[in-house]
Amino acid sequence: MLLPKFDFHEPKTVNEACQILAEYGAKARILAGGTDLMVNMKKKILSPQQLVSISRIPELKNLEASADHIRIGACFTVADLCESDAIQRHLSALAEGAKNLGTPLIRNLATIGGNIGSARPAADLPPPLMAYGAQAVLSSLSGERTVPLDQFFLGPGFTAMKPDEILTEIQVPALPASSGAGYINIGVRKAQDCNLVNVASFIALDAGGIIQNARIVMGCVGPIPLRARSAEKILIGQKPDTALFTRAGAAAGSDSTPIDDFRGTAAYKKDMVGVLTRRTLDIAFHKATHRQ
Amino acid sequence: MSEYTVINSRAVRRDTPDKASGKAVFIDDMSLPGMLYGALLQSPLAHARIVRIDTSKARNLPGVKSVVTAAEAGLIKYGVSPARYDETLFCHEKVRYVGDDIAAVAAVDLETAIEAVSLIEVEYEELPVVLTIEDAMAEGAPVLHNEYPGNICAEVHSEFGNVEAAFANCDLIKTTTFKNKRQDAAFIEPQGCIASYDHFGNLTLYSSTQVPHYVQRTVAMVLKLPIGKVRVVKPYVGAGFGIKASANPLELSACLLSMKTGKPVKMNYNREQVFQYGRARHQFTHTMTTGVKKDGALLALKHVCYLDGGAYSSFGIATVYYAGSLLGGPYKLPNMKYDGYRIYNNKPACGAMRGHGGVAARACWEQQLDMIAEELKISPIELRLKNMMVAGDVTCNDLNMSSLGMKECIEAVQNGSEWSAKKGKLPKGKGIGMACGFFVSGAGYPIYRSDTYHGTVVIKLTEDGGTALVYTASAEIGQGSDTTFAMIAAEALGIRLEDVRLESGDTDFGVDLGAYSSRQTLMTGHAVKEAAEDVRQKVLEVLSKELNVPVGEMDIRNSLIGFKQANVDFSGLRTRYVKEHRGWTDNPTDGPLTFKEAARMAYLAIGSIVGTGKYKPHELGGKYKGAAVGTSPAYGCSAQIAEVTVDEETGQITVDKITDAHDCGRAINITSVEGQMEGSVSMGLGEALFEEVKFDNKGRVINADLAEYKIPTMLDMPEVKTIIVESNEPNGPFGAKEVGEGAIMPTIPAILNAVYDAIGVRIHELPLTPERVYMAIQEAKKGKKT
Repeated sequence: MLLPKFDFHEPKTVNEACQILAEYGAKARILAGGTDLMVNMKKKILSPQQLVSISRIPELKNLEASADHIRIGACFTVADLCESDAIQRHLSALAEGAKNLGTPLIRNLATIGGNIGSARPAADLPPPLMAYGAQAVLSSLSGERTVPLDQFFLGPGFTAMKPDEILTEIQVPALPASSGAGYINIGVRKAQDCNLVNVASFIALDAGGIIQNARIVMGCVGPIPLRARSAEKILIGQKPDTALFTRAGAAAGSDSTPIDDFRGTAAYKKDMVGVLTRRTLDIAFHKATHRQ
Repeated sequence: MSEYTVINSRAVRRDTPDKASGKAVFIDDMSLPGMLYGALLQSPLAHARIVRIDTSKARNLPGVKSVVTAAEAGLIKYGVSPARYDETLFCHEKVRYVGDDIAAVAAVDLETAIEAVSLIEVEYEELPVVLTIEDAMAEGAPVLHNEYPGNICAEVHSEFGNVEAAFANCDLIKTTTFKNKRQDAAFIEPQGCIASYDHFGNLTLYSSTQVPHYVQRTVAMVLKLPIGKVRVVKPYVGAGFGIKASANPLELSACLLSMKTGKPVKMNYNREQVFQYGRARHQFTHTMTTGVKKDGALLALKHVCYLDGGAYSSFGIATVYYAGSLLGGPYKLPNMKYDGYRIYNNKPACGAMRGHGGVAARACWEQQLDMIAEELKISPIELRLKNMMVAGDVTCNDLNMSSLGMKECIEAVQNGSEWSAKKGKLPKGKGIGMACGFFVSGAGYPIYRSDTYHGTVVIKLTEDGGTALVYTASAEIGQGSDTTFAMIAAEALGIRLEDVRLESGDTDFGVDLGAYSSRQTLMTGHAVKEAAEDVRQKVLEVLSKELNVPVGEMDIRNSLIGFKQANVDFSGLRTRYVKEHRGWTDNPTDGPLTFKEAARMAYLAIGSIVGTGKYKPHELGGKYKGAAVGTSPAYGCSAQIAEVTVDEETGQITVDKITDAHDCGRAINITSVEGQMEGSVSMGLGEALFEEVKFDNKGRVINADLAEYKIPTMLDMPEVKTIIVESNEPNGPFGAKEVGEGAIMPTIPAILNAVYDAIGVRIHELPLTPERVYMAIQEAKKGKKT
């Protein structure tokens, strides 16, 4: 399969990139790892006239852990996420998502920014990031703004990003003590699969061991990663145990809105949301009570 | 210690260094001066009448050198079996599946060729589409081929013994229905070729094929060329698994375009086109009824099978026969009745794929045998051993098990997997299961009826005496046959492997039917051995005259000449040799007479030393219609034990371990035998758990890529313990027989039986996706409640 024709830009700074985007607007696409974009271009699903590679902008590859935030540059690769001690230590559910994404070859190229910006409903990184309460930093010539990932996704392939904006960074707020998250994805085979269902759960406990805060995010069961709001409600204010997690799982299943497609039936996906919610809550609880 | 000096060892494959370093040349790496690129116009509709084709815009596009349709290509029918030639190179009246070929373009580059294809205007009149067996067989269904009413491409009805009478004597009769799914072989290299037509009317076709010989014949027939003017050359090939075992429209189009333009033309399928072309494993629906005595003795099998064939026959006639005949063994089965139907519909044609016709049948039956064993309270292993054939047994359909290490295979996997410590003792969610299988070592007859040799080989010694050149038209497609034949040549001639150079895959080297039906090791191997022995004899005869020693008192081993008598004086020969090579630093001084010296003397005496070998099977059993499909000079066999873990909440299966024993008669290259066994497990595991080519309601493949068509990844592969059993096949060269396809037979049923052992639920449809397993568990729970 051949690529359609396009002009190629390789800016060295974010500002330079913003200038190019300001000039071409919707005619331009940002190229990071290219693992999604190149496939769609070869299939002629997308034929952008201008490709703006952001791979040569050094600041987009940074990872910075401070007291109140972990900031991950948009071009931080998925392979880097897998190997980063900071991610492993503070954001283990994100590390789990990264490890389950694609293959080693894809992980070497794919970036965290691309996995979010492409807005695929089955993507591995959005659920754990949303569970951790992450936000996206968007830059343009008119400045920088921050959008919570909860409000970032609008539909398959559509996000809150404007045509002149670049996703430059993901910010994850420092986690409260006694909190933890879990991530599980299932597909047909063990790797290199489009997920059938993926779920990330986060819980934070108060000093008495009561669930103070909970976020459950379900992939593949809606046009965007969905919060399981009624499941979260069931959890908050309760003492964690298996029965509670099972009830939350059942509620999450009802919160999900999967469709029948060639990969699987809605009925199966709903049931799996229940199983994965319970299992990821188990992991989250374990992390919350065993972290450091 | 092996009695052999070269074979029965682990040789480094001849292709390994090139493949590992990127030096190996595949079609995609090749380019010829002035080469054009071709592209195909393929039907977007599954069934339609062609009202009008207008190629004028495409012809007028700058850079386009030729546009051909049925008007230029003619309407010679071709296919695989002459009994069912049902394809023309390009469609002329109607298209029968999405991807059916309508026209081809040659242009200066691929972009231009693709653009030109988009400029060809075709007016279609859409016809009703039939996509399933049921729809295709329904009353009043649209007919794909007028010659085949009811869309029945082929049907087989056979009975050996008397099944109904036998059922009357059975204590238990069991019926199950089983369904697999349409497969893609997912070989790494899509089909591709370069055709080059020269000023003298010679056509050379370089192609990624398993069968240069059949491609040569089809090209000559369809394009009306004298066969002597057509040469097919196979460079390195990235596997085929059966799909590349016949001529394809790409090859024929490239040849026609090269003839029209006088320039080389290169054409390739992309991955989507590989799926669209199809020709891989059929979807089979088997219904089997097996009758046994209380003690487990098998008495009868009644078997009905429907094959979802697609738009054309391809290998389908052979497939529908194999689906029945390959159940004749390896168990003693006195009565067998088979009714098989292959049905046309508006999907890509299915064809032959590893384990041709027998894989789904074997899966169905081996699972049913386990069900029978359970009901009779006999262990699955005991049931199989009780009914197992031994060497010399002949099946009810006349397949002669001239060697059969089946019992040894079962015992090997039983011990190798510690079956007895595990069976019945594993926790819920874990299971162990076993199955057996067997397969032909080559078909008894070529695809076209002929008395042709199935393989001819020429071995020539270089005139300096140092090297044996082996020329075979056989097809190395990644399975390791080049190395195998070099080893056989070295062993039979008595020289070291490094003294053999081998060229293969070129129709100018002779006849070889190619790499299909697991035939090459046995058949080409025989021809290689005979040619090597011919050369050996010629060298020894000269030596005998020169030294006055009888041929029978000399031997060649490790590239040295051995004499039975002590003190044979060969100093005269050596002096002559050394005089010829004054100033050379590698002249022999003392020590035994070398093959190099002997071969040089032979050349000086009688000229170039050339040996020839040939093989065709002896007359095989079976006088009934269809006996040609299933009869073979030898049968390989195998047993496997699968161990699995099933996540009962999600339905996910993990295959933890496969213990695999295969009787290949004699392992020529041990590493290659193990490679075939492991590769077969991988392929069988994929078919068991993941793989299915899916279509939308317009007949378009919706998962035509390797992201959505899921073959096993490294992480899905279990530990595979391979055990080679050697039964010394009397009809094989050095006792060797097949391993390439038979090894896949037990994998699927072993997994099915292990999954049942883990969850207590039988599943009769593939693939065992998490959803299918989960739903089966839920169904079973519901059933228990009510």
